[in-house]
Amino acid sequence: MFDINLIISLLEITIAGAIINASVYFIPVGGAPAAMATSTGVGTGTTQLAAGAGFTGLLAAAIMASKVGLTPEGIALILLSGAIGSMIMLGVTMLIGQLIYVFGVGVVPAADKCEIDPITKDPQKPYITPGTTGHGIPTVCFISGLIGATLGGIGGGLAYVALISLGFSPAVAGTIAIGFFFINAVLASYNIGGTIEGFHDPKFKKMPNGVIASTIASFVCGIIIILMAL
Amino acid sequence: MSHGGGGHAAELFPEEQIFGVGIGLALIGCYLSHFLEPYGLSMLIGGLLVSAACVAGANTVRKVASYGLGTGVPSIGMLSLGMGTISAIAGVLIPKSFGLTSYTPYIAPILTLIISAIVGFIVGRLTVNPVGMKIPIMVRSMTFISIAGAMALLGFSAAYAGSLMPNIFVNNALNSGIMAVAFIVAGIAILHPFNACLGPDESHKRTLTLAVACGLLSWFIFSVIKLDLISIVISIVLWAIVYLKYVKMSFKDACCVLHTPEIPKKEE
Repeated sequence: MFDINLIISLLEITIAGAIINASVYFIPVGGAPAAMATSTGVGTGTTQLAAGAGFTGLLAAAIMASKVGLTPEGIALILLSGAIGSMIMLGVTMLIGQLIYVFGVGVVPAADKCEIDPITKDPQKPYITPGTTGHGIPTVCFISGLIGATLGGIGGGLAYVALISLGFSPAVAGTIAIGFFFINAVLASYNIGGTIEGFHDPKFKKMPNGVIASTIASFVCGIIIILMAL
Repeated sequence: MSHGGGGHAAELFPEEQIFGVGIGLALIGCYLSHFLEPYGLSMLIGGLLVSAACVAGANTVRKVASYGLGTGVPSIGMLSLGMGTISAIAGVLIPKSFGLTSYTPYIAPILTLIISAIVGFIVGRLTVNPVGMKIPIMVRSMTFISIAGAMALLGFSAAYAGSLMPNIFVNNALNSGIMAVAFIVAGIAILHPFNACLGPDESHKRTLTLAVACGLLSWFIFSVIKLDLISIVISIVLWAIVYLKYVKMSFKDACCVLHTPEIPKKEE
């Protein structure tokens, strides 16, 4: 009953939850104001964006898991596949959103939370319409979003690997992983409290609180999952 | 947030009353969906009773979201079903781990209730302490919505699978992907009523009516998936009655109702 593999799986689930939570802070979420192009980021809520990216990552990881075994190389490939799937999903979302913002709405992508873009060194402040908090998805937010998607995919993939190695069938593992993903993504979004632009946003400093909360929540979920698999 | 703000939403019935009745009915529904399957009534009676859990969840979402969550109402509905998924699967699979497989139908609904309450309470505490939500009823509401989500998910899956025995439940409800449908259907039934009705003129009666309509619509979706003809007819008729009532209520509460052709023409 007291097996080292169970402890490893419990650790994997806990770490996966913490990674999923951390990933949400990188994703540029604009919420309702961004849907009207009056705020930086993609125009939807944290939960929806993180979940969209996470599920794609989960599916990509699951497909890879059905091709390779659970050897160390196999696990690395599964995590990588999850990360790539998630990155493609969020990258496409941000790119198409950007096309609509620029050519449809007619705004200049500009970040509100920094004077100059830390990556391209372009000035941002002059391009922000007075009364708004930035527009579109500037380079720094795009890069930040891709980093977030990578982490989300790795987290989702790790949770899936842990569940598969506990002996669940892919369908059961996938369903549990979806629920698990939502708990951690929503905990992060409550900590952010609405909108975030990426790693240059002052709200990014709130991350430790969210990660602690997620670690505890994932540990509790992990114990319940282990009890199911005994 | 513009809606509610203070959380002093006027109530037609106390929240505990609706929650107690809803979860009680859903719990009975879970048992009946297992024990009435030989008579072919599992979706008809089980599904109807389980849709009460959606109403209970939607009512709690109304109460907690009127304080203003800061992330939109859908987040709490998704969180509810996230906690519910783990609890519902755990309720069915944990008895098997302890060698109580043959007693699972008796244990599973109660165990799901207990596990979801524990998970909801812990996640609720976490949203208050390290995360820093400023809503006073957060812990209680999280516990409630976690229970509502778990009961809705377990109930609809059991009504479809027709059994709470682990091997049949996993085969019929999980491996076929029905639980993923239950996840999003029950989630929307829980989050949508308040999300649609919120605003300064929100009334409890209207939100509750929509919640009942959403619960019945979820039952209809599962009846269609199971191809249970009697349930399909009864659920769609009941849904149409409640939904028409809701539309009439919205028209009555509105300042004025202008259909598209009646928009005044611009003066030349």
